[in-house]
Amino acid sequence: MVTTARSTEQSKPAESTTPAIRMLLAKIGLDGHDRGVKVLARSFRDAGIDVIYTGLWQTCEATMKAALQEDVDVVGVSLLSAAHLTVMPEIVRIRKELRIEQIPVVLGGIVPEADHPKLKEMGIAAVFNPGSAIDRIIETIRELAHRRDADTPAQMQSGYKAKDVCALAKMLTAVQRGDDLGDWRPPSGRANVVGVTGAPGVGKSSFIARIAQSLHDQGARVAVVAIDPSSPVTGGALLGDRLRMMRGAGDFFVRSLSSGLAPGGLAVNCKEVVDVLNGFGFDYILVETVGAGQGEVAIGELADRTILLLMPDSGDAVQFSKAGIMEIADAFVLNKCDLAGADATEAQLLSAVGDDRPLFKISTIRDQGIGAVVDWVRLA
Amino acid sequence: MSSRTSADPSAQPDSAVDTKPFVEPADLGTFDPAKSLGSPGSFPYTRGPHRTMYRDRLWTMRQFAGFGSAEDTNERFKYLLSHGQTGLSTAFDLPTLMGRDSDDPLALGEVGRCGVAIASLADMRRLFDGIHLGEVSTSMTINAPAAILLAFYVAVGQEQGVPLDKLRGTLQNDILKEFHAQNEYVFPPAPSVGLVVDTIEYCTQNMPQWNTVSVSGYHIREAGATAAQELAFTLADGIAYVELSIQRGLDVDAFAPRLSFFFDLHSDFFEEIAKLRAARRIWAHVMRDRFGAKSERSWLLRMHCQTAGVTLTEQQPMNNVVRVAFQALAGVLGGTQSLHTNSMDETLALPTQESAKLALRTQQIIAHESNVTQTVDPLGGSYFVEKMTNEIEASAYAIFDQIEGMGGVLKAIDRGYFRRVIAESALAEQKRLDRGEQKIVGVTDFVEDGSSGVDILQISQETEDAQIKRLTALKKSRDPARHQASLERLGSDAQQGKNVMPALVEAAKADATVGEMMTTMKSVFGSYDGGPEW
Repeated sequence: MVTTARSTEQSKPAESTTPAIRMLLAKIGLDGHDRGVKVLARSFRDAGIDVIYTGLWQTCEATMKAALQEDVDVVGVSLLSAAHLTVMPEIVRIRKELRIEQIPVVLGGIVPEADHPKLKEMGIAAVFNPGSAIDRIIETIRELAHRRDADTPAQMQSGYKAKDVCALAKMLTAVQRGDDLGDWRPPSGRANVVGVTGAPGVGKSSFIARIAQSLHDQGARVAVVAIDPSSPVTGGALLGDRLRMMRGAGDFFVRSLSSGLAPGGLAVNCKEVVDVLNGFGFDYILVETVGAGQGEVAIGELADRTILLLMPDSGDAVQFSKAGIMEIADAFVLNKCDLAGADATEAQLLSAVGDDRPLFKISTIRDQGIGAVVDWVRLA
Repeated sequence: MSSRTSADPSAQPDSAVDTKPFVEPADLGTFDPAKSLGSPGSFPYTRGPHRTMYRDRLWTMRQFAGFGSAEDTNERFKYLLSHGQTGLSTAFDLPTLMGRDSDDPLALGEVGRCGVAIASLADMRRLFDGIHLGEVSTSMTINAPAAILLAFYVAVGQEQGVPLDKLRGTLQNDILKEFHAQNEYVFPPAPSVGLVVDTIEYCTQNMPQWNTVSVSGYHIREAGATAAQELAFTLADGIAYVELSIQRGLDVDAFAPRLSFFFDLHSDFFEEIAKLRAARRIWAHVMRDRFGAKSERSWLLRMHCQTAGVTLTEQQPMNNVVRVAFQALAGVLGGTQSLHTNSMDETLALPTQESAKLALRTQQIIAHESNVTQTVDPLGGSYFVEKMTNEIEASAYAIFDQIEGMGGVLKAIDRGYFRRVIAESALAEQKRLDRGEQKIVGVTDFVEDGSSGVDILQISQETEDAQIKRLTALKKSRDPARHQASLERLGSDAQQGKNVMPALVEAAKADATVGEMMTTMKSVFGSYDGGPEW
């Protein structure tokens, strides 16, 4: 019902000089009504906003931890389950506990008028009901994002040094935006940087989530950088990788990035982002590329090792040519081996690239074969 | 309308403006009424599944309800039964719908909120306390854990001494549309559908009066699909269930008569009527010509319809009464067997008693005052309606071809086809609203200031707390050895590819909870993260 929301004029693309607003959109609890949130996500993207969507069935805690790691300007919660007076106080409580009270939270959904004052009083910045004009929602988000206080470089640096994750999150925002941090440089780290590339739909995010969780469970500190494409027209982006990684929220650190105008499947200032994570002390940094195709060789420069993810019958897409992405891969992972055609694809692949580089057959949906890949990742 | 038959029908928006101001006989081409329509009650049933339709028997006015604890809903059931109702329709709360127990962390704030909370056989026993299951028909709107709720129902029936073949009712049990639209899936598509076939097989063998699947377009449409997409996706899902049940070794005429359909009634009046007429014609041909069904009961598409929640507005909510009335009228003119009319306050909260009554009165006015019930299919033969019926039918067949081209419904789910198409249609509708090409009275036009001023229903948090307490007590009091053994059998039956229904009934009797049974099956079937498209 939220989709009766409307805008009275076409949204204008964001000025290219201002960094995109970063917004997290969340559905909390078991309510699956996602028509509204999906239409809003796309409308916000078209208004030049970077939208991180965390998908269905999230807890309050995972949502707010994601907000912290992503250092978003605004959190938007969608609730059509009538649970707002139970869920929103919890959101506000966790926001305080995580010390991210400066991040404004807005709510959209079926919320009786009588409950609006209660929600405002507990600290919800705005409540939007079905039929709210999309232009007005976007305007409110822009105002809230603009009002948010930024930390000074000195505050960020001391927090970063003290291993404060909030400070890390803010520092990542600053370096990605290219903010002036004087002559500050992150200390050099010893992280193992692993790139993961592959065509859209092969399951890169789910794969990374399994690897990261497994590494975490073995005691390693893990960070993930997940990159999605920006719209060349509006500058906005839909960052949906994180929704495959929410089960591990809090166990490992995830930063979603929009590619901006960066070529080669990475994001603007991606190296700087990885360096800041590295200096913070992570053992592993997993970088998920846009997944646009053959030309994504930049990851080879950034990462210590690169995994190319494939799926059965993806032979045509990659064509197993020896150029580009096939050349820089250090290992091949054939995902979705529960589907038919896995053996044929494996044979094709072996005949195309030989057997001097490892080839793993896995299924993230069945949780099969992940261990062998993790062992390979660990054997630096 | 003419645009709908273009190359890619799924990309077309809802009907808007026909290129012609009126339709002429020539527009119908080689239309042969005898072949395309037949008489009401005869193949291909375009004009209706029965010869006399509402002259002999009105549609069932089935208002869906449920809230709070099992006791709350039981009380409501008894009230309805004492007022002459013989069919019960159960709405479950979100945790139950998702196969999670009331004490699951994700259930926070949602226990008993939008339906009744059922976590165990004990809850089910309380829900039907004092109600003889041999004398009522019960509809249960549940999908991913449908087999478990059916097992609870069977177990309560057995406790009451009712033979299985005397149990009557309907399970929604349509998991495919959950992957397309409503998002209440748990296991990956293939084992999920396998579970649906388990219930079809079990009911065909043991519960011949039970309607096994209500194949639903409602949620697909509410999520943003066009009328043609709703029709095509729903029938494609129905076809998938039939194919898989035949593959299981069932005789098509043994199970097909117990499949029914559930459509949305949107605001485009004639398009909705055409959709329902086309649905019957397509299904009759598919069942007879493609699956070789011999029984007329297999060819007949029986349907339930509900007015479109998505068209209701929070602004000027009284306007919703009028919307619902027109949508309901379209359902009646389209020949539905059963109808739910939405309450005008559903966009604000759960309906109040008053608004739910007004929704029912709307149906009664159509039934008893408008006289549209006096002749069957009054629009049959209208150039416009017949042309539209032909066009929406052609669109549906074109979409079937696309789905077949991808290798069938399950393959299309793997590719994110349905979710992508539905999201595109929803966004396209939003853009039409943004550009002022589509109007909503009271929202885009004729706007007034000020709040709605209608009273709304509130549900207390106490239900949740009490339900969790009961569940905790149950877990302490049950026989641990029996409980453990029943779950082990369930896991092993699932692993071996056996029909899990007998194991579910046994686990129900051992006081295993919905969440425990789902977790056990998840360990075998795996879980699903929604596929490539979100």
